[in-house]
Parts: sequence; C-alpha cells; structure tokens
Amino acid sequence: LWPGETFGVSNVIFCKEIPSTMDAVGDTIASALDVLRKKDWIAEAGEFNARLCLEEALVNAVTHGNKSNADLTVRIEMEEEAESGCCVIRVQDQGNGFRADDVTLPDCDQADGRGICLIRYFMDDVTYDPATHSLVMKMRRPGMEEGACGH
Amino acid sequence: VGTESAILTFEEVGAITIGRIQSASVLDAMNVDQFGKDLQDQVAKTDDINLLLDFREVEYLSSAVLTELIRVHKSCEDRGGSLRLCAMNADIHKVFEITNLDRYFTIYSDRAEEAVKKFARSLTVEADERAWSNINKSE
Repeated sequence: LWPGETFGVSNVIFCKEIPSTMDAVGDTIASALDVLRKKDWIAEAGEFNARLCLEEALVNAVTHGNKSNADLTVRIEMEEEAESGCCVIRVQDQGNGFRADDVTLPDCDQADGRGICLIRYFMDDVTYDPATHSLVMKMRRPGMEEGACGH
Repeated sequence: VGTESAILTFEEVGAITIGRIQSASVLDAMNVDQFGKDLQDQVAKTDDINLLLDFREVEYLSSAVLTELIRVHKSCEDRGGSLRLCAMNADIHKVFEITNLDRYFTIYSDRAEEAVKKFARSLTVEADERAWSNINKSE
C-alpha cells in the first residue's frame, strides 16, 4: 500500500500517519512544529515559513493527492540528514501523484496551485518522488550557509 | 453600524465597510470555509459594497485563504463594488508578493483608520473620472 515503506531511515525526528482530514492536518502541523522548535530547526523568525510549508504540503496531499478520501492516509516524516546536515521533510499520499516540476506559478485568477509555489520559495530544495508519491522538502538549520541543502 | 462573526467584525464607515479580522487570527485551510462564508454573507447584504479588510491582527495565512480572497474580490466586483486590504505584517505581505497577488489586490500599508480615508478618496476620484468621461461622450 505504501510504495515508500523503505524510506524509513535513521535520524528520523518525527513520523506520523494521519487520516485525510483537516483536523488531522491541524494537529500534525502543531506537533511537527513543536519538534522542529525543540530540535533547533526553526528560529522564532522562521516559524511562519515552516508552518506555511507544512500546511501547504499536507493540505495538498489530503485534498489533491488523496482527494479527501477518508479511507486513504497521509504520512509525514522528518529526518535530520547526516550527509547534508539538512532537515528532510517527506509528505506522502496514496493518490495518483503529480509532478512538482509541472506546477508553475499560476495567474492571479487561478484558484489552485499557489501552495507548491510558496513551498518552493521558502524551502531550500523541493522535489517530488513519483515512486513513493512523496513531496520531499529540505530546509537548512538557522545560521547554515545558503545553498547547503540545494538551490 | 456593526456586525460580528467568529472571525470577523464589520463596521460601516461612510461608503466603506471595514472587515476587521479578529485578534491574533490564524487564517488557514482549517478555518477558511468559515472565513469565506462570513465574507460572502457580508458582501451579499449590500449592493456595490466597498470592503476594506483589516489584516492588522493576522499572524498567519496560507494559500487556501488567498483563493477565498479572490472569490470574495470577484463577488464584490460582480455587485459593483471592490475589495481592498490593509495593515499586513511583513510575513503576510510576502505571501501576497510571492504569488503575485500584491498586484491583483489593492493593498494599503496603513492601518485601517488611514486606509479607509485613502479608499474613500479613490472612490471619489473614480466617480469624478466616470462623470467626466460621460460628459465627453455626450459632447
């Protein structure tokens, strides 16, 4: 059911599988932010950006990936990547997936599509892994050199 | 004259309705439906409504809310009015910039008390321009 079962790795600081509901999304954002704060991945000034990216990724997975189907779940995993020193956040749905590269900044009149654009702006690196239906975001620790996690 | 909802309070100042978003508000996908409904209900009450939305107390906003604001803006225009925004903090304004919506909406950096005066002045100017245009056409 989960093509990416193998992505379980060491240095995981947060892992949760949630139903495709907005209530679950809200609770998960709060828990994930709490962990990022405690592990010094976000400074007070950067909390807005992290919260926004978590929400956009989870809401996309629930509404676009799983089409809000209550029988499908979304999984989020956050890992401190030893190699790069970055925090990797994977959000995996059970839907048909999409190509992050196909999502361009929409015109002002378009109702959907801005979430991924905001993630791209605020995160240091964003990719989509079609094999695991996972949006993979990387962020650097406050004070780390720009470019350490991509871009 | 004022009305109130869980997320917003509304106050009429001359020809303009100020919608004040409640203190320390979080505008996200979890409460966007209620936010949109409160705004649309207010828009439906008044023909040619000119709505100024005060973001002074807003601490967080996600893209779901942007979509809702565009819908409300269109509803206002359909009824012969407009929606304008004011008093955003830097984080909130950045979200509008990244998504190019700072060019779609009229956004005043001022607090609502000053923004409402600018809004009113611009309505007067627009009305004068329309009047002159009609005179020119008739000549």
